[in-house]
Amino acid sequence: MKRQISLSKGMGRKTVWLSFAVMIMFAAVALTAPWISPHDPYQFDMKHTDLPPVWVQSTVIHGSSEYILGTDIYGRDILSRLIYGARTSFLLIMLAVPLAALLGTIVGLVSGYFGGWVDRIFMAITETIQSLPGIMVVVALILIFRAAFTPTWAHGLLTLVICFIAIAWVSLARLVRMGVLQVKSMLFIEAAVSLGATPWRSIFRHILPNISHLVLVWIINNIPAVILLEALLGYIGVGLTSATGGGEFTVVSWGGLFYSGRYTIASNPMLLVIPALCVLIISMSFILLADALNERFRA
Amino acid sequence: MFQFLGKKVLWGSMIVVGAILIMFLLVHAIPGSPWANYSTNPRAQQNRDIDATVQRLLNARFGLDLPLWRQFTRYLIADFDNQGNLICGAICGNLGPSIQQHGRTVQDIVFGAPIGETFWQSLFGYSIRLVFFAVLIVIGLGLPIGIVSALRSSSRVAHAISVFLALLISIPNFVLGLLAIIILASWLHWIPVLPNWDDPSHWLVPAFVLALVPMAGLARVVRTSMLNVIKEDYIRTARSKGLTKQRITLDHILRNALVPIITYFGPILMEIFVGLFVVEGLYSFPGMGREYWQAVLNLDYPMILGLTLVYAVGMVSINVVNQVICESLDPRVRAVSQGEAP
Repeated sequence: MKRQISLSKGMGRKTVWLSFAVMIMFAAVALTAPWISPHDPYQFDMKHTDLPPVWVQSTVIHGSSEYILGTDIYGRDILSRLIYGARTSFLLIMLAVPLAALLGTIVGLVSGYFGGWVDRIFMAITETIQSLPGIMVVVALILIFRAAFTPTWAHGLLTLVICFIAIAWVSLARLVRMGVLQVKSMLFIEAAVSLGATPWRSIFRHILPNISHLVLVWIINNIPAVILLEALLGYIGVGLTSATGGGEFTVVSWGGLFYSGRYTIASNPMLLVIPALCVLIISMSFILLADALNERFRA
Repeated sequence: MFQFLGKKVLWGSMIVVGAILIMFLLVHAIPGSPWANYSTNPRAQQNRDIDATVQRLLNARFGLDLPLWRQFTRYLIADFDNQGNLICGAICGNLGPSIQQHGRTVQDIVFGAPIGETFWQSLFGYSIRLVFFAVLIVIGLGLPIGIVSALRSSSRVAHAISVFLALLISIPNFVLGLLAIIILASWLHWIPVLPNWDDPSHWLVPAFVLALVPMAGLARVVRTSMLNVIKEDYIRTARSKGLTKQRITLDHILRNALVPIITYFGPILMEIFVGLFVVEGLYSFPGMGREYWQAVLNLDYPMILGLTLVYAVGMVSINVVNQVICESLDPRVRAVSQGEAP
């Protein structure tokens, strides 16, 4: 029995280091995007459209070493767009997930601690949102905001942040509420209350530290969810994509890459596979990290 | 029991009405109208549209000239038409006329079968059958994989499985679906690019694409909850009593690990239903999910609300059934839920 635990911990440590390495690389690429990208991601180049990646060297089409991962139908460099897209994803993660976590935690704490009517109302709200098709709510919100905002980079980002918060906070609120209910019935809370702790003190001083691991694991588990949501919306074509360069929000994002990949799927499926691999590596590292953390909290 | 069910039904219908209200407000906040929809109709952006008189007539026909609250009550409960007849709304099962598909009501589009076909050929029937196949795959693969990786939790097999499951969860399912089309249909020619939905073997690929992510989730939950039980003292007792491995696994571990697993079926079904929106679009599958996209992008208000209603009723009933099963399985859950709000 002991041997099993120590082995799984060793495995956990290795995956944790791997995940951290991926995250640091991701953050570094995102932060240094303007310096390391070989081309301008917005620059059209009509002489080099639809190039395949450099390793494709057949008689009909062959990649050029100038555009390592090839170009899209407007001749924009895929590698640069990938790097700038990492920047968008990074900002999304840094903004959307912590804000959603904050909202969910506060609602869950209040609802679980005070109980009664407050609890009922909050639970009705969360259950209502959960019984809506989330992706459709997001699409509707984007259609609303798209008309209200000017199509700039910041506004596009802000829209997606709001959309993610609107659908994601409910699951954390319910999770935190269950955690609070469990902790609240323990003796040390009763002791704190009988010693004269105010509700706020007992919530933030005594209950929150005991459920913080729930929040942490939720945050790590939901980082892939943001990336996947952005990718899906981009693929559908209602996201932040600048693929058409028209009236959309002009954000270079991985979703936008999927959108351009959709049209060249027969001639150049790599355009779809490359962003998919990026999404895959990043979400996988976060999921493995969450697993390792979970195991640690369980042991 | 009846009191319990009555309470649940009341609570559930409240949730459904709330869900419809939220969706109603959202879709009416989207700028444009079904006839001048700026989001999908490029002509509308240039104001080359249906002329104003016709628009006014159409608005009056579908009640879009009424104030918002009256549109909502008209949809949900009832309203008088021009002749003064009372027309009952969604509570009577009348989901209203569809705006984009002329001359058909929403309930007819969603539940009505084409002429000469059975109920299973309707939009709802198609979607439900696809969901059923997907659930079969989820249970058939997820449960054994989870059990194996829990029972051999430190072996290489288990580590390989857990990395593989993390991999499955991280692939966006539209990419999986597209790659399946590229590889299976255009490279290997195993399936036709244009499937014939009367042939059950053509359902396999969409069902698998739909099922793989929830399957990975289920396997992970099975693994975690079984590992939690394996640690308990009564498993050690059972082992030291000399019970067979099979008996311990089935009777002691699996049965005690069942409550979290069954609770997880709610999220699984939700995930499958959300996946429908993607997969049906990819494979041009004639189901509800594709219709929902069309409805949102074309601002077909009654259609959106009708499909939201169907979806929300599904979600709420899944939750209720889930709760009832868990309470009948585990007396502790019953004790907790009777002490608190629903």
